[in-house]
Amino acid sequence: MTFVLTAVGAALAVALELFEALAIVLAVALTRRPAAALAGAAAAVLGCAVVGVLVGPVLVAQVAGDPLRVVVGVLLLLFGMEWMRKGVLRLAGRRARSDSYAEFVAEREALAEGEPPAAGRFDWPGFVISFKGVFLEGVEVILIVTVLAARPGGLAPTVVGSVAALLLVIGLGLVLHRPLRRLPESELKYVVGLVLTTFGTFFCAEGLGVDWPLADASLLIVLAIWLGISQAAVRVLAGAGGGRPSRVEEAAA
Amino acid sequence: MRTVRKLVLGETWALPIGIAIAVGIAGILSAIAGSADWWEDAGGFILLALLACAFVAGLGIRR
Repeated sequence: MTFVLTAVGAALAVALELFEALAIVLAVALTRRPAAALAGAAAAVLGCAVVGVLVGPVLVAQVAGDPLRVVVGVLLLLFGMEWMRKGVLRLAGRRARSDSYAEFVAEREALAEGEPPAAGRFDWPGFVISFKGVFLEGVEVILIVTVLAARPGGLAPTVVGSVAALLLVIGLGLVLHRPLRRLPESELKYVVGLVLTTFGTFFCAEGLGVDWPLADASLLIVLAIWLGISQAAVRVLAGAGGGRPSRVEEAAA
Repeated sequence: MRTVRKLVLGETWALPIGIAIAVGIAGILSAIAGSADWWEDAGGFILLALLACAFVAGLGIRR
C-alpha cells in the first residue's frame, strides 16, 4: 500500500514538473536554436544533480528517528498542502487552470517577439532561458523526491515512480508537444497534493509519538479525510465566489 | 530569495504559518501526554484537524 502510494505520488510530481520544464525547452528549441535549448537543459540537469547530492545525505544524516519523521512530514505538508490549495482553487474556478501547453504557446510567442540569435554565434539568451526553466522545476522535483525517499522504506518506490515519470516525459517529448494538450494537469496536481499531504500528516504524527490504529492502512483513512475536506472546500469556493479569483490569486497571477 | 521562498513555502504566508502552528500545538500536546494512550490513539486525528484548520485559513475561505 505504502509502496504504491509513494510510487504514484513521486511519479505524478516528477512528471508534472518535468512537463512544465519540457514546455520551456521546446519553446526555446522551436523559436531560437535547439542546440542552446538542449545545452541549457543539460546544464540545469547537472545543477539539479549537484543539489540532489548535497540535500539528500544532509537530510538523512543530520536528523534521525522521530525528529526525521517530523522534518520529513512538515516538508511533505508544505509541498502537499500548497499543491492541494492551488488544486482546490483551480477546480473551484478561482484560479486559472494549470496548462503546460498554454505556457508553451505563451513562452514561444514571447521568444518570437525578441531579437533573433546572431548568425554563427552561440545563443546565450536561449541557453539561459532553458537553463532557468529546467533548473527551477528540477529543484522542486529534487526536493519532493528527496523528502519522499528519506523516510524509512521510501527509497525504492520513489526511484521506481521517478524513473517511470522521467521515461514517460522524455518519450512524450520526443513524440512532439501535442501530448501536453491532453493532460488534465489541474486534476493531476490536485491528486499529487492529496498524496503528499496524506504522507505528511501520517509521518508527522508518527514522529510525534502517534500509533496509527491500522498501521500503514491508516494512510487510506487519512487520504479519504483529506479528499473529503478538499472537495468540500471546492464546493464552498465554487458556490461562494462564482468563479471570481480571490485577492491573493489575483496578486499571484 | 523570493523564488526560493515561493518554492519551499508557497505563494502565501498563511499556509506555512498555519502548518507551523498546527505541528507546534501537536508537539506540545505530545509532550504533555507523554506515552498516554489517548495521544497514541487519537493524536494523528487531532493533528489532522489542526492541519485542516490551517488549510482552510490558507484558502482564505471567509463567512
